[in-house]
Amino acid sequence: MAFNILLTHGFRYFIIKFKWLNFRMVKLIPLVFVSVFTLSLLSSIFLALIILVRNASLSFETLMQPIVIQTTESVFLFLFWSLAYFIYLYFERYNTSLKYEATIRETELKNLKSQLNPHFIFNALNSIRALVEENPKKSKEAITQLSHILRNSLNSDRKKLVPFAEELRTVKDYLGLESIRYEERLSTKFDIAEGSERFQVPPLMLQTLVENGIKHGIANLKKGGIVAISTFLKEGQLVVQVRNTGQLASGEKLEKGFGLANTQKRLEMIYGSEAKFKIKNEDLKTVLTEINLPK
Amino acid sequence: MKTLIIDDERLARKELSGLLENHKEIEIVGEAANAEEAMEQIMEHQPGLIFLDVQMPGKTGFELLEELDRVPQVIFTTAYDEFALKAFDVNALDYLLKPIQADRLAESLRKVDFTEDFGSADHKLGKEDQVFVKDGDKCWFVKLDKVRYFESDGNYIKVFFDNVRPMIHKSLNALDERLDERTFFRASRKHIINLGWVEKIDTWFNGGLLVELKGGDKIEVSRRQAARFKERMSL
Repeated sequence: MAFNILLTHGFRYFIIKFKWLNFRMVKLIPLVFVSVFTLSLLSSIFLALIILVRNASLSFETLMQPIVIQTTESVFLFLFWSLAYFIYLYFERYNTSLKYEATIRETELKNLKSQLNPHFIFNALNSIRALVEENPKKSKEAITQLSHILRNSLNSDRKKLVPFAEELRTVKDYLGLESIRYEERLSTKFDIAEGSERFQVPPLMLQTLVENGIKHGIANLKKGGIVAISTFLKEGQLVVQVRNTGQLASGEKLEKGFGLANTQKRLEMIYGSEAKFKIKNEDLKTVLTEINLPK
Repeated sequence: MKTLIIDDERLARKELSGLLENHKEIEIVGEAANAEEAMEQIMEHQPGLIFLDVQMPGKTGFELLEELDRVPQVIFTTAYDEFALKAFDVNALDYLLKPIQADRLAESLRKVDFTEDFGSADHKLGKEDQVFVKDGDKCWFVKLDKVRYFESDGNYIKVFFDNVRPMIHKSLNALDERLDERTFFRASRKHIINLGWVEKIDTWFNGGLLVELKGGDKIEVSRRQAARFKERMSL
């Protein structure tokens, strides 16, 4: 018995060392059978030796009988052992590959997460610095808004979803700061449907869309324009619309803005096919960005 | 020195002009919120120095510079912009990151040549003037004494300097009118050469001349211009 354990350990060492798990079945199955037979033979020879040591005068027939029985027994034993061991190995491999895939997805999702645009942060700080002399009260308010956005941005790494109300507050603070920068060139409008706050949304996603609207819309217009955010509920989904003055150049769709392509992928990873995302020219001077989010 | 601040944000302009108050050598003659306003102000005041934000609605700062016959000394201001920073590989005087640090601003101003007289609007472009040339993603501030010659190519002009030849969208005739004739010479319908680069002159067919420039370029001077050229070179 002890010898059999030794044998299976040796066998296991072989399997691991020569990476049998990577062999194809056609090669693996005969190999296992040959090994099982060899192991059984080794086991029997060992038994025969023990018997001979104890009783050297045994006849050949009396010696053969227990050996034949022992060989048959151990063939089954080793076969069973191999079967169990390989099943275990396959399961383990499957598990680790699953785990691996999950880690990959996690990292991917993290990379897709929206990040605050450094350009925005430094421009905001610059405007605030000028505002300190001109309007101390407003500049204090601006610092509070900026710190709220920075805090949210730092926290967003840890959360997959945040309440819509929280995201909306971030967007309002963001627009508040951009209004200081763009002054009369930026006006904002909110039309939020009741019940929107029950939804959970990916952090900084709406903010990214609004930021895009400003970057590609308002910032390029000498007279500026409007950013309007509205929501409504439709078939149990939350529809968020961002409208900004401006125009998508033809062919300039999802591929163009890095932020938009990211948003699309991120939605797919979180919600599968349940969420929708689109961007288009609504009329000759308005770009409409829309996302549908499931509950 | 007459200075112009160009930035689309009022607060950013205010902040910079506040910082510049400590520098008596700077005289702010105006502020502009976009390229068009800047163009008007530059025409009117002929500033020797401009602070320029690259990203503006309408035309960008680079496009503004391209439109100017000659560019003053330029200090770029930007908040954070990889594209702009890449473009700064060129020999811009300096660039400042917003919010601007007072000592960093002082450092930039030390690079400014305050002795340079920018002159009036009808001042001809001479050796000491610089132009801004943009070709694709690359751009250069080029002092005109570095330009060996200009070559017309359809609606464009190739500007030959160092080992590059970027194109500018302009006619050779229009350029010729703006150039100082003490430095530049219209060799033919196709070429304007920098007299400072001339190394060797040979006679050529039909009474023309072949001019060899330092660096080995050979430019033909047409028969019509040959007499004037000889006259000029003998002076």
